[in-house]
Amino acid sequence: MCTLKRFDRTCEIISNKEICTNYFELKIKAGNIAKYCLPGQFFMIGIPGVFLRRPISVYDSKKNVLSFLYKVVGKGTAILSRMCSGQLQVLGPLGKGYDLEICKELNYVIVAGGTGIASLHFLAIKLGKNKAKKRTLYYGARSKKDLLCLDKFKEIGWKVVVSTEDGSKGYKGYITDILEEKVKDSDVLFACGPMPMLKKVVQIAKEKKIKGFVSLEEKMACGVGNCQGCAVNINKVIKMTCKDGPVFEIEEVEL
Amino acid sequence: MKPNLAIDFMGIKLKNPVLTASGTFGYGYELADLIPLNMLGAIVTKTITLEPKLGNLQPRIAEVSSGLLNTIGLQNIGAKAFIKEPLENLSKVGIPIIVSVAGSCVKEYVQTAEILSAQDAISAIELNLSCPNLRKEIVCHDFPLTDEVIKSVKKVSKVPVIAKLSPLVTDIAELALCAQNAGADGVTLANTYPAMAIDVKTFKYKLSTVKGGLSGGCVKPMSVRCVYDAYQNIDIPIVGCGGIETGEDALEFILAGARVVSVGSASLVSPTRLIRIIYEMEEILKEKKIKNIKEVVGMLNTVKNAC
Repeated sequence: MCTLKRFDRTCEIISNKEICTNYFELKIKAGNIAKYCLPGQFFMIGIPGVFLRRPISVYDSKKNVLSFLYKVVGKGTAILSRMCSGQLQVLGPLGKGYDLEICKELNYVIVAGGTGIASLHFLAIKLGKNKAKKRTLYYGARSKKDLLCLDKFKEIGWKVVVSTEDGSKGYKGYITDILEEKVKDSDVLFACGPMPMLKKVVQIAKEKKIKGFVSLEEKMACGVGNCQGCAVNINKVIKMTCKDGPVFEIEEVEL
Repeated sequence: MKPNLAIDFMGIKLKNPVLTASGTFGYGYELADLIPLNMLGAIVTKTITLEPKLGNLQPRIAEVSSGLLNTIGLQNIGAKAFIKEPLENLSKVGIPIIVSVAGSCVKEYVQTAEILSAQDAISAIELNLSCPNLRKEIVCHDFPLTDEVIKSVKKVSKVPVIAKLSPLVTDIAELALCAQNAGADGVTLANTYPAMAIDVKTFKYKLSTVKGGLSGGCVKPMSVRCVYDAYQNIDIPIVGCGGIETGEDALEFILAGARVVSVGSASLVSPTRLIRIIYEMEEILKEKKIKNIKEVVGMLNTVKNAC
């Protein structure tokens, strides 16, 4: 699903809280922008002190408030994490999000790795509370302290399966190990996370002929397709992660 | 009273001197929903080659202090496809369109320029003689080759030809003069600066091609110097380019001798900056009680060498 409308605007910070070590939830007053956001879409957020804006996916969008969930990974996000008030320049919503209309008869399976959970959380909310469907979240992280918003998924009726690399919670190992055993062709997959995880998800989905979507991550300069910095090879065709993606149909990608 | 920003550039009438910079504004029409494109002076498209180009491998971009390194590798859909769709959309914008052109040899430059300059919607050609991201040597580091490309393109082009030059030469004034003598109608100063960066966390190069082109705020003083030096040596108009983020930056280039400016990296960060720059220029001129932008072109640069 594509951008309905894009904005390049200054927004007020409502809050910017550390929800657990190194992970922050940023809320901004977004006015009418909020209603145009689709799950999987992102914003380029201007951070004072670094040259480029940072692409961050929408974590939630309610009324006039937009939320972003991010991890402090470098200089830009470190500066952002120290901003408790003031204004931010935001450009978005950008890119192609997850297709919510597809496969209405299938059960929903979300596969998340690390902060990939952010865009998938927004997706889960938008998929709604359809009780006739099985809805399962497979969520892998480094350790227990890197698992985010599990309660939120449980609240809206998702079954949650977790794995940690150090075994501090759930299955010890990678989430794709469990996924491989459990996933069925009556499922539709939505995945976001690090590249090795996505590669495995795509491989499993293709072997089992399961439909679905993956959301890719690349370094971006402009976020709107103009600089062509975030090129990705999709079935031997060069596409832009920011504009043609970040969400791609599993069938069309070879990672 | 509102100062007059309208300016004549190589015989093309521009409503103001703010242009987009090639390679930073796509094919030129994609952001029509975000900014009023018809408020710009002109649009310079990304570089078009005769055949489509896939561009370089990832990673293609890396952020540095106050700037950006890139190695896109001229990814584009090729001249024929460009004429079909993007140009059609562009021609509806209603402002002059300048198409950036590159080739792997003189013949390719000529063929591409011939095809494109024949299009009614195109007001001028900008020859990219200075892309740092192709395996070949940068054209304008070789003066006889620069001369040959410009002369050959001028023979076939139906529109004015601008030469976009590399700042990495011993004497930029001499290179600009070489472009003028070959028949160029204008020069763009300057392209990105060959540069590189290494990630010490991973012990890897930050760009796939190791080296790339540096742009953004950090290059501005160096590009202003290029304009200043070249202005003293040539009579053809200069497009000032390099790290312009504000109206103040744009006027700095113009005071040094640029007739118009092009904005690149700053518009990647925020497309609306292109429009803000125009307003900011107006404000500064108003404050200085200057009625017409033409009055300040090269205002501080009074040295003129015989040429």
